[in-house]
Amino acid sequence: MAQSSLGLLQGTVDVLILRTLAWAPMHGYGIARWIADRSEGAFAVEDAALYQALHRLERKKLVESQWGTSEKNHRAKYYSLTAAGRRQLKTEVAELREYMGALFRVLDPA
Amino acid sequence: MGDVPGEGREFRFAWRSKRQVVNDIDAELAFHLARKTEALVGKGYSLEDARREAERQFGNLEYTKQYCRDEDVRRERESRHTTMIDELKQDFIYALRALRSAPGFALVALLTLALGIGANTAIFSVVRGVLLSPLPFPNAGQVMRVWQANPGENDLRSQVSEPDYLEWVESTKRFASMGAYWYMPGGSGADLTGIGNPERIEGAYVTPGFFPTLGARAAIGRTLRDEEAVVGNDRFIVLSHGFWQRRLGSDRSIVGRALTIDGKPFTVVGVMPPEFTFPADRIDYWASLTIHGPESIGRQRGSRFLDVLGRLGPGVTPAQAQDELAAIARRISEREPDARGWSGVTVLPAREALVGDVRRPLLVLLGAVAFVLLITCVNIAGLLLARATARQSELAVRSALGAGRSRIVRQLVTESMVLASLGGVLGVMLAYAGVRALGALGAAELPRAQAIRIDGTVLAFALALSTVSGLLFGLLPALRATSRNLQGVLRAGARGMVGSTGQRLRSALVVAEVALAVVLVVGAGLAAKSFARLLSVSPGFQPANVLALRLGMAFERLGEERMPGYYEALLARIATVPGVEAVGSAKNFPLRGMGESWTAIVPGGEAGTGDREIRVPVLHTSADYFRALGIPLRSGRVFTSADRRGTPFVWVVNEAFARRYWPNENAVGKTIRLGNTPVQIVGVVGDTRQRSLTEPPEPMAHVHYLQNMRSGLSLVVRTTGEPGRYANAIREAIWSVDRDQTITSVETMSAIVGGNVSRPRLLATLLLLFGVMGLTLGALGIYGVLAYAVSQRRREIGVRVALGASPRSVLRLIVGQGMGLAVVGVIAGIAGAFALTRLMASVLYEVQATDPMTFVSVVVVLLVAALVASWLPARRALRIDPVQALRYD
Repeated sequence: MAQSSLGLLQGTVDVLILRTLAWAPMHGYGIARWIADRSEGAFAVEDAALYQALHRLERKKLVESQWGTSEKNHRAKYYSLTAAGRRQLKTEVAELREYMGALFRVLDPA
Repeated sequence: MGDVPGEGREFRFAWRSKRQVVNDIDAELAFHLARKTEALVGKGYSLEDARREAERQFGNLEYTKQYCRDEDVRRERESRHTTMIDELKQDFIYALRALRSAPGFALVALLTLALGIGANTAIFSVVRGVLLSPLPFPNAGQVMRVWQANPGENDLRSQVSEPDYLEWVESTKRFASMGAYWYMPGGSGADLTGIGNPERIEGAYVTPGFFPTLGARAAIGRTLRDEEAVVGNDRFIVLSHGFWQRRLGSDRSIVGRALTIDGKPFTVVGVMPPEFTFPADRIDYWASLTIHGPESIGRQRGSRFLDVLGRLGPGVTPAQAQDELAAIARRISEREPDARGWSGVTVLPAREALVGDVRRPLLVLLGAVAFVLLITCVNIAGLLLARATARQSELAVRSALGAGRSRIVRQLVTESMVLASLGGVLGVMLAYAGVRALGALGAAELPRAQAIRIDGTVLAFALALSTVSGLLFGLLPALRATSRNLQGVLRAGARGMVGSTGQRLRSALVVAEVALAVVLVVGAGLAAKSFARLLSVSPGFQPANVLALRLGMAFERLGEERMPGYYEALLARIATVPGVEAVGSAKNFPLRGMGESWTAIVPGGEAGTGDREIRVPVLHTSADYFRALGIPLRSGRVFTSADRRGTPFVWVVNEAFARRYWPNENAVGKTIRLGNTPVQIVGVVGDTRQRSLTEPPEPMAHVHYLQNMRSGLSLVVRTTGEPGRYANAIREAIWSVDRDQTITSVETMSAIVGGNVSRPRLLATLLLLFGVMGLTLGALGIYGVLAYAVSQRRREIGVRVALGASPRSVLRLIVGQGMGLAVVGVIAGIAGAFALTRLMASVLYEVQATDPMTFVSVVVVLLVAALVASWLPARRALRIDPVQALRYD
């Protein structure tokens, strides 16, 4: 929240997490950094919201977790995408794209 | 799981506890905060500030922990559920596969289970219908039957006279309402004419309280109103659903129209619903009691003909109601000479009154059939135990692969439950057939037989039975099979060296089985012996080759003057039918009732001292009645056509009567009095059983029809051969005298005798059937244990034979083991039978519940069965080739 310059649309956190994990399995801190880096600081997901979303997604079986060791040899919980999560990502991206397209067609009249 | 580097799915054996979930979340978030702090320190924050900033940026930490914990706990629970269901599915498929791989075991187990559950379900459906289900009246528990009682004569359930009944109704406060009716099977009907063929129909004649007391409402129209039950305005009739359907084609417009009953028009006011068939299943109509005036049914105190019902007031117990009426009865008996001695009243719930005598036999059957199922369960438990021993290696492998004990027990019990459920399904199918078979065996003649059916409750009972059975025979072997160190088995199992404790347990089961079988077979033996006793009872007449017909003799149609002539013409005409040897008539057939109850005076000594007033059943008969039924004349003479109206009144009495009142004299020639009318006893005939085969003959008298005409008439026709063949010719003969004569029923006398033993026959047949099942299962159990023991002891037996043991000693070894088990079982069983067959005492006829002959025979039968069951595996042991046995693994 502190660093965010763009407010996040509701539900977008989930799709951002799924997209991030599609890249590679990571722990929560890694996900937060990855999102911040990729959006060049434009989005910053609030940490609390990120972890809540991760556990919610895990219950929905869209992601799964396992304990592993981080680069610096710390015990960390790694999340990865499940097959269901991969499918969910696809549909959500498609929906989002359609939604945004429609939104911009209204906002930018040709 | 510790640190597992790299990828790979998490493979969990156990579920995370709530505490573990919290720890995991704390660790995860601590990791995040630590990395964040590190990063901030790298940007120049002091460690303290970095920590604070990291937490600030995180957001609501406590809420997040709580949120994550809730999500995780839910996830754990959900996945645990799906796993359980998955495992159950797995176990189920596994169970089916296991059963398929042992078809012999599966077949025996399923078949015996299906028989056990089927028999139990069928018997339960009878017990439920007859004993447990409420009568089809609203608040049926409050409906009572009420009788007059004469404690002095030990007559506790007598019908009630109208004056007494009216006084009760007047004074009672504890009964909310009372009603009464007169109904006599085959006797209280009427002739229906005017539509189709004339027919004798069955009716009950009721007082105004009858329908309200039962809480009965008509399905169409209404029941009788009070003002439709008064002399002069009582030609109204309520029809039964059955009659309305059968005879009137369910024509709803019949209400308000008239039917011709005994030649007079009766207006139909209503049709009852199908379930209302009180007081008898075959009832056709109800009409007001006032139809029968005092000239046809006496209304004095001594004329007890009413069956009385009462509905208890709120909160009143049957005992309180009985006390109240008994007080009234006592006052009447002190006041009225005709009611002397009738100082008591018996009040019983209507259901109890209806099914009281069949309760005990049905409960005995239910107990016996439960024993059959118990034996079945013990037997299957034994089979499963043997299988579990054989499957120990398989179980050990599963346990080595990480299945816990509870998991394996669950799998084994699932197998048993699958077996039990399949057995239950087959059992229910058998029960459907069984209920029909029970009907044919005589259950259809039980009171309330129409309530016997397989419905939801009975199916629920079958389900519960299957479940309990499955647990009963599955749990013990499952616990037993998993109790041992299965790893050890894996090592030893290859050589088949399994412990002897399993065998001991199986032996104990066999002992239990034999003991249960003994109890069952003793019960069966007692019932069979009692039944045989009953069959050997002489009814006092020769039932073979006698046709029995009931006629409705319409007094009204012929008029009293023409009755005797018509009656004589009828008998004479039937006597001319070729093949007819003798024709007799009586008001009731033997075994179907006593006749009328009369008061007579047996004179004592001189001048009226020592006169005794007696009540004696009097049967109206014809002269040839005794010859037609083969009742022997002991002394004097029977009636002749000269004994008729206007000539001196004469009686023919039975031997019991003669013995009771003139113990050391000839009764012939003695005179008794009916009021002031002298009656001479002209003959003594042999005793006949009038009420039932089990009740010893009572003193009774016969009067000649021609001296005292009655409307009810039964004919007994002795023929030269099979009496059924003459039925048509006899019917034609009757109709050649009068085309409108109704014939109520045509039976053979043998069938009447047979019907009289149908309940004992049902009991004996079923108990024998259950006994045979128990015996077979017991023998099967012995055989199974020994066959298994022989296969386990192959090597040992081989060594014995190799060392020179004689075949005899090998036989003795195996047979001895089997007989040992049998003897222990028999001893336990005899003890059990002594305790349990006492409960049968009241259903046995002239057989003691501890009849030594029966007990000895059962012991012999069981030991012989055990011998055979031991002999077969022993012979197999003899055929063991020592060389092969020693090489055998």
